Amino acid sequence: MVNTLAPKAPAPRPLGRRPASPAVEGRARHRRQSVVAYLFLTPALLFFAVFLILPLGFALLLSLSRWTGFDLGDIDPVGLDNFAALFADGATFLTPVLTNTLLFALGTVALALAGSVLVATCVDRLRFQGLWRTLYFLPIVTTVVAVGNVWKYMYEPGGLVNGVLNALGFGSVAFLADPDTALPSVIVVHAWASLGSAILILTAGLKSIPESYYEAAALDGAGPATVFRKITLPLLRPSLLFVCVTQFLTGLQSFALISVMTKGGPGDATAVAALEMYRRAFSYGDWGTASAAAFVLFAVVLAVTLAQLWLFRRKGEDA
Amino acid sequence: MGRGRFPFWAYLVVATGAVLTVVPFLDMVMTSFKGPGESGTLPYHFLPKTFDLSNYQAAVRQLNLPVLFRNSVVATAVITGSVLLTSSLAGYALAKLRFPGRQFVFRLVLSTMMFPPFLFFIPHFLILVHWPLAGGNDLLGRGGAGLTVSIAALAVPFLVNGFGIFLTRQFMLGIPDEVLEAARIDGAGEFTVWWRIVVPQTRPLLVTLGLLTFVDAWNEYIWALLVSTANPDVMTLPVGIQLLQDHVDPARTMPIVMAGLVLSVLPVLALFLLLQKHYIRGVMLSGLK
Repeated sequence: MVNTLAPKAPAPRPLGRRPASPAVEGRARHRRQSVVAYLFLTPALLFFAVFLILPLGFALLLSLSRWTGFDLGDIDPVGLDNFAALFADGATFLTPVLTNTLLFALGTVALALAGSVLVATCVDRLRFQGLWRTLYFLPIVTTVVAVGNVWKYMYEPGGLVNGVLNALGFGSVAFLADPDTALPSVIVVHAWASLGSAILILTAGLKSIPESYYEAAALDGAGPATVFRKITLPLLRPSLLFVCVTQFLTGLQSFALISVMTKGGPGDATAVAALEMYRRAFSYGDWGTASAAAFVLFAVVLAVTLAQLWLFRRKGEDA
Repeated sequence: MGRGRFPFWAYLVVATGAVLTVVPFLDMVMTSFKGPGESGTLPYHFLPKTFDLSNYQAAVRQLNLPVLFRNSVVATAVITGSVLLTSSLAGYALAKLRFPGRQFVFRLVLSTMMFPPFLFFIPHFLILVHWPLAGGNDLLGRGGAGLTVSIAALAVPFLVNGFGIFLTRQFMLGIPDEVLEAARIDGAGEFTVWWRIVVPQTRPLLVTLGLLTFVDAWNEYIWALLVSTANPDVMTLPVGIQLLQDHVDPARTMPIVMAGLVLSVLPVLALFLLLQKHYIRGVMLSGLK
């Protein structure tokens, strides 16, 4: 019955089924459409009820309780004790865990932003852009277990990175085993893995800058550095903001890579908040403080995101 | 040509970056061919002495690769199918049907994207463990292992995706109402309109969404690790390979781990190379990769 239709040419109404009043028909159809709509939405709404709203409530309850994890009747409310425990004297959550988290996010954003601006402005001038994009995209479609293990292996004394250092006459570096170099080492890997999408967004942003601006600048005799500072960078702002915010978001919550490469070690050198939450919950069964840690991290994520949006907007008004 | 002042430097920068991106993958492949005593020893050699396939045989044996593959395939297929189905159903209702509460439901869908995944690991796991009347649990969710005994546990928390619904709805807004109206006047029910007109017109977007979901589900690690800890029978590829490398002497097992990694990365890499336009469009739309 569907193959009879042509767009924008409504078929004539079948005579036999014409109802008495258009208003009555409209209302009936409206009601029928509402029922169908909720039928179509049922799977999604059921899912959100059980796997979004219920878990959020449950997590909030756990963050305010002490619980052994077995009988749901044994949940023991303790008020804000779990949050207090996270920030008590001698607790590791504020330093080094939250500090590591911020350093990790800041480091990856800085590296990924610098690298992607450099590569994107260069790629924009080349042919075979699709080929380059494909290469830079390989890490993004690769599982974190592969990325983490390959880099972990490359950082080892007998691995590729030290092999290159030795060949150049430098001594070996114990990248992941030394508390001083462990965090920077995983930051490099995370930035390496997220470069492709940042380049993609920035390349799209560069394409939207009108060619005539560059031509006008060339006529005025502006050098490449001036063109970059006065034209490219300001007009790339929306894309830069987007990359910045999304990379910060993923950087603050990421822990799969660290759990594969260092498990937070050596000591607490690479322990980040989400990993700490995971360990407290699933290694120690400390559901209360783990849930509290999750909400604290959530608050940090929200605050950092809003701060960036505010900063960029304020700067935009100044310019 | 206003932008093309320094193509030589541009080539140098882009090519250097590309080499740095690809070298770890090559190192993975090369290591997977290295024989015993060839990896992790000084001095470092990039190329293996012989292209030894025994690591691949060992990976298939030690990792129980067929089972890992099956679990990964089942979980990925179920997640992708469910996300596509639920997104196109809900997206159609939100884009093209009028009903009371539409604004509210749409805002709810938008708000689901605000919550980061780490908030849900703990409650999701506990909800599955205490799922009523499953895996030996009573009506109150006590006594057994709940849904964690089943392979369904791998897929359940990912069956619906708020971002997928949002994306589908935005795309479906562009389908002209006249076409749907004409079909309804011809006597087509809403389900027919959805399946015969709306879904075919949404195909390009569904391919993109399906591909993004597939890659994410195939590569998922943290949740699969949790579920596999509770029930090793449902272990997926990434988890199996990670656990192997955790438990055995790294000097001897690294080549085997790398062989397993090559095998697990290949399917998704092939799919990406085949459909990369769709995938890259998806990353443009989501930005959160």
